[in-house]
Amino acid sequence: MNLAVDIVKRGNKRRSEAFDCAKLRRSIMATCHSLKTPEGQSHMIADAVCSHVIDWLENRPEVTSDDLRLVAARHLKIHHPEAAYIYEQHHMII
Amino acid sequence: MDLISSLAVITLAALIHASFQLSVSVLLLLSGHSLGSRHSHLRLMRLTTSFVIGAGTMTALLLTFVSFVLQNLFGSDAPQIVWAMACGIMFGVAVSVWLFYYRHEKGTTTWLPRNIADYLSHRTKATKLSGEAFGLGLTSVIGELLFILAPIGASALALIQLPGAWKLVGVAIYVIISMLSLILVWVLIGGGRKIADVQRWRETNKNFLQFSAGAGLLILGIFMYTTQIAGLNLVIK
Repeated sequence: MNLAVDIVKRGNKRRSEAFDCAKLRRSIMATCHSLKTPEGQSHMIADAVCSHVIDWLENRPEVTSDDLRLVAARHLKIHHPEAAYIYEQHHMII
Repeated sequence: MDLISSLAVITLAALIHASFQLSVSVLLLLSGHSLGSRHSHLRLMRLTTSFVIGAGTMTALLLTFVSFVLQNLFGSDAPQIVWAMACGIMFGVAVSVWLFYYRHEKGTTTWLPRNIADYLSHRTKATKLSGEAFGLGLTSVIGELLFILAPIGASALALIQLPGAWKLVGVAIYVIISMLSLILVWVLIGGGRKIADVQRWRETNKNFLQFSAGAGLLILGIFMYTTQIAGLNLVIK
């Protein structure tokens, strides 16, 4: 499900883009896979996080990608704390 | 400087080099992307091995290049002024490491300008072939040139004093020791250790690594000063 929400990219350097639930789902799945989480569990976690993020995005016409990542990480932490840590750290490794 | 002292300088300089973390960060990102894309373990190992070989190759090339230049300029014994300059650079880089190496924020973000870090991150994500991983290994060493040039320079000054085949031994010692942190992470990832564990350790201990790198440079600078500059003055008196 895609909402009419604009995502302002990091540092405002790139053009904003529409919220893409599939993209968020892919990133959550990739994080779970990087920690060798079983496929079924990864799907369940990604679905749960996406649904929480969609709820949060209701009534918000524009959010930053950093905010989106923060909210996704907060919900991911409930289901998989290690994945949430890596998800948060992704832009802070280098 | 005698053989043992020269090898000691090379070893300490290589340990300082090993405490710089850009290559480890890139290796961790590369592993994360490879695992996240559900590549086979064989492919993960192929990419990470190529990366490690690339980083080792560039380290060896840089050290031999600097040694070659110094050898051609000064022969097998660099003048005191060059040692004094090297000591000054050591002290300057030591203070810079303490002040700037890690940014004062969450995670393990380094001093690297953000556009270069984003580019490296983007290239890491796009790396699919062993050749690309090898190139990324080369680049990750170049990216840290500003800081590693100090230990490489000190090692090169010690290397040119070594007799014949000992030069090769010195290069081998430097490359192997400077790659230890990278090899350790490579072994951990290959052995199935979670990247979250490695990253958490790095984040927890980043201040210690930063302090030890700076302190190591300071100690190396003081050692070089006392043996090569103050030592000679004492003989003259």
